[in-house]
Amino acid sequence: MDADSDVALDILITNVVCVFRTRCHLNLRKIALEGANVIYKRDVGFLLTEERNIYTFIYTYSNGKIVWYMAERENSKRVGSRHLNCKIHYKGFQVIFTDFKVVNVLAVCNMPFEIRLPEFTKNNRPHASYEPELHPAVCYRIKSLRATLQIFSTGSITVTGPNVKAVATAVEQIYPFVFESRKEIL
Amino acid sequence: MPGGRRCPDCDSTELVEDSHYSQSQLVCSDCGCVITEGVLTTTFADEGHLREVTYSQSTGENEQVSRSQQRGLRRVRDLCRVLQLPSTFEDTAVAYYQQAYRHSGIRAARLQKKEVLVGCCVLITCRQHNWPLTMGTICTLIYADLDVFSGTYMQIVKLLGLDVPSLCLADLVKTYCSSFRLFQASPSVPAKYVEDKEKMLSRTLQLVELANETWLVTGRHPLPVITAATFLAWQSLQPSGRLTCSLARFCKLANVDLPYPATSRLQELLAVLLQMAEQLAWLQILKLNKRSVVKHIGDLLQHRHTLVRKAFRDGTAEMEACEREVQGQRQGEEEVGDSSLDLPVRKRPASPALLLPPCMLKPPKQLRPTPPVCTVTGDENISDSEIEQYLRTPEEVRDFQRAQAAGQAAKSLPNP
Repeated sequence: MDADSDVALDILITNVVCVFRTRCHLNLRKIALEGANVIYKRDVGFLLTEERNIYTFIYTYSNGKIVWYMAERENSKRVGSRHLNCKIHYKGFQVIFTDFKVVNVLAVCNMPFEIRLPEFTKNNRPHASYEPELHPAVCYRIKSLRATLQIFSTGSITVTGPNVKAVATAVEQIYPFVFESRKEIL
Repeated sequence: MPGGRRCPDCDSTELVEDSHYSQSQLVCSDCGCVITEGVLTTTFADEGHLREVTYSQSTGENEQVSRSQQRGLRRVRDLCRVLQLPSTFEDTAVAYYQQAYRHSGIRAARLQKKEVLVGCCVLITCRQHNWPLTMGTICTLIYADLDVFSGTYMQIVKLLGLDVPSLCLADLVKTYCSSFRLFQASPSVPAKYVEDKEKMLSRTLQLVELANETWLVTGRHPLPVITAATFLAWQSLQPSGRLTCSLARFCKLANVDLPYPATSRLQELLAVLLQMAEQLAWLQILKLNKRSVVKHIGDLLQHRHTLVRKAFRDGTAEMEACEREVQGQRQGEEEVGDSSLDLPVRKRPASPALLLPPCMLKPPKQLRPTPPVCTVTGDENISDSEIEQYLRTPEEVRDFQRAQAAGQAAKSLPNP
C-alpha cells in the first residue's frame, strides 16, 4: 500500500445541523400545547421537538429561529424543514421559510489500516491533542477549514465541519498524515 | 523629566509621574513633594469630559491582585510543595495561573473552576517537564470531578495556546511502581511476597512495552494496564508462592487502589502471552493456560519481538493475503480442470491471529435493521381479477366530489 496510490474511502454523513428562520414571533406555549412529541423548556426559552420517523431533534425559539439536529442527508434536511414550517403554519402562525443554512456536518470515515496514536500525535504536535485519560481518540483541528477530526486507533475518523466540502477536504488532508503513522508489524 | 520643571522645595529636576489610587500626581523623587495632582476618577480616551469609570472597567483591576487570585496563587504553591516538585516548576505554574487569570472568562468564573485551574496549571507544568503525574492524582488532591477538570484543562490549553506533550509511559511506570509497598517486609506483607524493586521495574516495563505493541495501551487509560503488568511481573518472578494470589489481594498488599478495568487488561495481556507461547516449541507440548503461562513470562519477554511477529499478523497484510489466496485458488481450479487424479489434501498450518485493537476483535454491534427496499413503482399491470378494486362505485364518486368541494371552500376562507 502506498500513500500516493488511489484509495476509495467512503465518507458517511451521519448528522447535519441546520438553522432557518420563520420571520415571525412564535408562541412556544401554544405550539407546545397543540403539538405532539414536544418538550417546552420555559426556563431556557426553547421548545424541543423529536421527530422519530426521521431521527431528528428540533429546537424552536420564540424569535423564529429554529435549529435542526440530525438527519442523514442535506436534501432531506431542507425538505424536513419545510415540513416543520408547514406544521407551524397550520397552528396559525404566518411563517416564511428563510435563511436556511447548514451549520454543521458530522461524517464518519474508515481508514483501511490501524493508526498508532502516540506516534501520530508526536508528528503533528500543535494541531493534534491526545489525552488517553480523557478520550480514546486524537483530536486534530484544521483551522483553515474550521474542521475537527477525532482519529481512533481502529482507523475510524469522525469529522465535524461547516459543510460537506470542508469535511471531504479535511479527510483528503489528513490521509497522508495518518498513513505515515499506520500500524505495521516490523 | 516632564516639561523641564523643577521641584519648588528642593529645586530637583527628578520629577516622576505616579498614579496614587488612580489619581495621577507629579512627584519629586528626591523630597517627595507633590507638585501637581490629576483628576481622581480614571478615564480612558477623553479626560476632558471627566467621565467616571467603574472599577471593573478601569485598569486598576489589572494592576492589583485580587483576593481570589492571591488565594489561587497560594494554592498553586501549596500543591507544588505537596507533590514535592522542584522550585522551577512552582514558578512556571504560578506564571501560568497569572496568565490564565488575565482572561475575563476565568476571572469571572466560579470558585470551583478557579480551584480546578490550580490543578490544571500544575499538571501542564509537570507535563512540559516530563514529570509523570496523572489527572486522577491531581483530581484526588484538589477534590475535583474529572469531568470539570477535563473541561477546564482543555479550555486553558486552548486559551493560552500551550503545547502540552503526552504522558511518558516509561516514567509513569517507574513512578507508579515505586508507590507499591512490596519492596520491604512489613507486618502486612509476608516475606514470600517481598520483591526486588529493580527486577520488578524492568519486567513491568517490558510487559508494558509488549502491551503497547499489541494494541492494549492505545486509547486507554494507562494506569489499569500498568497495574496489570506490575501484577504479572511480580507473579512471574516467584510463581511458586504467588500464583494463588489474586489481583485484588495484590493491590491490597501493595496499598494501592485497584482500577476497575485492570482485571480485563490482565485477561487481555494473558491472552497475548498465550498466543506467543504457542510459537515456542518447548511450550507447545505443555498445553498452557492463563494460569500456567505466568511461569514462562521471562522466556516470552526475552524473545518477544520475534514471537509477536510469528504469533500475529497485520490486518492490512491479511486483506492482501486473502486476495492473493483467492486469485491463487481460481488459477488452481482452472489448471486442475477435470483431472481424475485424487491428490491428498494438504493440511494447512494454523494461521496467526490478527493483531488488531481488542474492540475490533469482538463481534460488531448489531446495526439498526434497514427497511426493506420497496420495489413497487406504481406502474405495474393490474390483473383482471383485481381491476374491480380500483374502480369507484357511483356513491364513492359522489362522496369524493362533496369532499373536494368542501376542501376548496375551506381554502377560500381567510386564515385566523
